[in-house]
Amino acid sequence: MALSVEELKKAIIEKAKKAPKPQLYIKDFYECDPDTKPRDIKKIANALVTEGELMFWSSGSTTMYARPDRIQNEEK
Amino acid sequence: MAKHKTPLLDELEKGPWPSFVTDLKQQAETKPECWDILGQLELSYRDRITHWKHGGIVGVFGYGGGIVGRYSDVPTQFPGVEHFHTVRIAQPSGLYYTTENLRALMNLWEKYGSGVTNMHGSTGDMIFLGTRTENLEPLFWDLTHDLKQDLGGSGSNLRTPSSCLGNSRCEWACYDAQELCNSLTQRYQDEIHRPAFPYKFKFKFSACPNDCVAAIARSDFAVIGTWKDDIRIDQAAVQKYIANDPEYPSNAGAHKGRDWGKFDIQKEVIKLCPTNCMWMEGNELKIDNAECTRCMHCINVMPRALRPGLQQGASICIGAKAPILDGAQFATLVIPFIEVNAEDDYQDIVDMIEKIWDWWMEVGKNRERVGETMQRVGLPTFLSVMEIEPLPQHVKEPRSNPYVFWREEEVPGGWERDVAEFRRRHAA
Repeated sequence: MALSVEELKKAIIEKAKKAPKPQLYIKDFYECDPDTKPRDIKKIANALVTEGELMFWSSGSTTMYARPDRIQNEEK
Repeated sequence: MAKHKTPLLDELEKGPWPSFVTDLKQQAETKPECWDILGQLELSYRDRITHWKHGGIVGVFGYGGGIVGRYSDVPTQFPGVEHFHTVRIAQPSGLYYTTENLRALMNLWEKYGSGVTNMHGSTGDMIFLGTRTENLEPLFWDLTHDLKQDLGGSGSNLRTPSSCLGNSRCEWACYDAQELCNSLTQRYQDEIHRPAFPYKFKFKFSACPNDCVAAIARSDFAVIGTWKDDIRIDQAAVQKYIANDPEYPSNAGAHKGRDWGKFDIQKEVIKLCPTNCMWMEGNELKIDNAECTRCMHCINVMPRALRPGLQQGASICIGAKAPILDGAQFATLVIPFIEVNAEDDYQDIVDMIEKIWDWWMEVGKNRERVGETMQRVGLPTFLSVMEIEPLPQHVKEPRSNPYVFWREEEVPGGWERDVAEFRRRHAA
């Protein structure tokens, strides 16, 4: 059964906190809930960016997600 | 007065063509950071390595595309390019700008950036090259509020859709490419501005098979105008071309700056038909339309005599890409003919797009274009996921590679055969 939006948000944030690399592909979040469609996970990840829980990291050709505290430390 | 010595770059000014080095030196008179572009590039030529650090966290709030971060890795030596981010501005359909709009865009870029532009990038966006992080939000505010324009796509987003001039200028347009481009751009704003996919995804819309935006070579989802019925022939006009009537110049007079001699319909049209589907019967030009591959050559050469048929729509080709991973690849024809219907908001095309996205988002690997995913799983699997019956048009090389294979459940009796019975008729 698919997780609720709030549960999925929590799982995505946890994943972004604990992943070995600070930048994650959108696909990395799919495993937070295999029962939720990828397009819905994308919408939730993008909502978390608006809420300030995640931020975009772009290479120009690829866009990834990261926790702001982890990525800003790395950029410094 | 030059800030850096650039002997290697100066060599690029000596050839017969206009040089970007000269342009940058001219721009440096009002934008001193351009000296540092030249200085850093000279250093790169000497070191034989780039001194740009690509990517980063730059962007405008809520957008996951449209800005490409670029930093110098030698900022103390070249402080003017410490930050030198690229801004992609969404182009209008068919690249129709007013001069007023172009002036406003240039003023905006003089105010917030280096003034250096690239018109246009491969996707079609207007590219502004070089600004600092702190200028991004003010630039975005002015762009969206004063100019009513938007950023384009970058990263793993839907890239800014682009179309040919279509019905606005072209008599061969088989559907309204600009209208479809605009409609899908509005519908998929979220996909353009925020990352959605394993990698980039491009739409391109060409209204006829001349394919002026090169959709078949440059887009993941190419919509190319075509027709179902017969090429329209005006036999009287054919005779005018054959008679070399000056009112009927071949190629609409496009090459008349040089004397090519008398127009010869056999040599210039009939013998150049790639499927040999044209011939003369007495004074009449005949076409075996079932064999026509829509190469457009005959129509381009004799536009007053030949026109696309009246039953118009589009072909959908999927999976073209540039040579980053596996090499360049043309799109594969998936739907030979689809109605392009504005009245139902292009529902057939929208359904197809979203079905592809749902599948690719699940199956595609990170940084894998949809054409590469198709190649990896094979066309039969792709067709079955898309719920499309294999068609003769899908067969690429029928003699050497059937490309589409039957599945066991599609063959009466499956794969099980009586070998003894088979060998009775076919000796080993």
